[in-house]
Amino acid sequence: MMSSVPGADRKSKLLVYTIEECPVCGQKTKRAFTVGDYITKEASKCPKCSNTARVSLVYAESAKQSG
Amino acid sequence: MSISAAVLQVTSGDLTTYLYIAFFGLLFVVQFAFGTRLQSYFAINEISRGLNKLRVMKDKARKDAIDYLVNVGKAQADPTQRVDQFLDYVTIMPVDIDPSGLVGKIDHVVTTNNDRVRAEVGSLLNQNNPVTVSISENLLEVATSLNQIHKIVRHFYLLGKKTNSYFTLVQLQMLMPMIIQEADALLNATDSFRMGEPVGDGIGPVVVSRFMAGKEKRVIAKDTVMAITEYKGRKLYVLKADGPMAYVGQPGVAIQKIVSEMGVKPSAIVMIDAALKLEGEKTGEIAEGVGAAIGGIGVEKFQIEEAATKAKVPLYAILVKQSILEAITVMRKEIAEAADKVAEVLNRVIEEKTKEGDEVVVAGIGNTLGVAQ
Repeated sequence: MMSSVPGADRKSKLLVYTIEECPVCGQKTKRAFTVGDYITKEASKCPKCSNTARVSLVYAESAKQSG
Repeated sequence: MSISAAVLQVTSGDLTTYLYIAFFGLLFVVQFAFGTRLQSYFAINEISRGLNKLRVMKDKARKDAIDYLVNVGKAQADPTQRVDQFLDYVTIMPVDIDPSGLVGKIDHVVTTNNDRVRAEVGSLLNQNNPVTVSISENLLEVATSLNQIHKIVRHFYLLGKKTNSYFTLVQLQMLMPMIIQEADALLNATDSFRMGEPVGDGIGPVVVSRFMAGKEKRVIAKDTVMAITEYKGRKLYVLKADGPMAYVGQPGVAIQKIVSEMGVKPSAIVMIDAALKLEGEKTGEIAEGVGAAIGGIGVEKFQIEEAATKAKVPLYAILVKQSILEAITVMRKEIAEAADKVAEVLNRVIEEKTKEGDEVVVAGIGNTLGVAQ
């Protein structure tokens, strides 16, 4: 008889990224998420205009999706 | 062919036929007499496997909560005993045979429980970082939920076995895949909570945090903040739970205060929330509608509907579709990327439903872990 109870975890591995966005020039930078990151947190200097960027998004995508 | 040989051949053919008849007859009798017992046996086996999974899950959630309290929360003493007491703590809902004033009573009981949880967690930890305290609260709630699910499933499993009730066992067997799926989602949520990552349910707060950035914020209700801003000549009262803590806040109380105590006469209340998608719907799809877009036990929804009805303010909803797993685990790319589109929809709703000089309340509903303002 086939079991209807779901088997072991078959989910694909998720990678979590932090997106930093410069409020002045709109330049976006994607990096790996680190503990303590949160949306609106002040981030590093914008590589384009040297203004302070902010974390605009934190999201996960599958390892396959992120290439 | 001799006569004796012919008789032997006929007898041999008949014997095979009789054997067939006997075999299928026996099968029929077995199926008729013991069919439900066999089905019960299979159901018991399957439920037992599911129950084992649930036990492993609830033990892991409990261990995760204890580890977090010790390693991150720097608990002074071994919190194991207190956590175990916490897992079995019950919240007794008020009697509903006289429904008048029931929401107020439920609100009172739930608020008392939330205050108790926060006080207990606070006393366990050796620090008062609000993010750590809120994450600890959420981890303990997940562990409590899994403990409760395991207990209820075990109860019906043992009851079905004890009373040899075929229907109890088969119903439980049919529900097991959904129960395991929900428990699995809860267990996965612990990883996101421990890391402080925004969850899918936080999409509403993500959108409104953009309207609040750089504006003066004030606490309008417990764990809830509000900022006043402007959009195309409209005055916006934007509110969300206080982030980046893992709070959901009290948007119902906040909207009641804005409408009745602050004397604001909004032309619209727009609520942005995550909504459970149906199978076949895409994650991150946006739906618009009317009504109070908020889940939970119903207290906040009641408060918002009452405030809106009294002031005759239309309620508009913008929903972002996601599964239960996606709602309580780290925010998926599809959901995060819907934030820009939701902001566009919000702007359009404000432009279409209100005019210059109007006041509008915008509420971002959901768990605001990892989403400040």
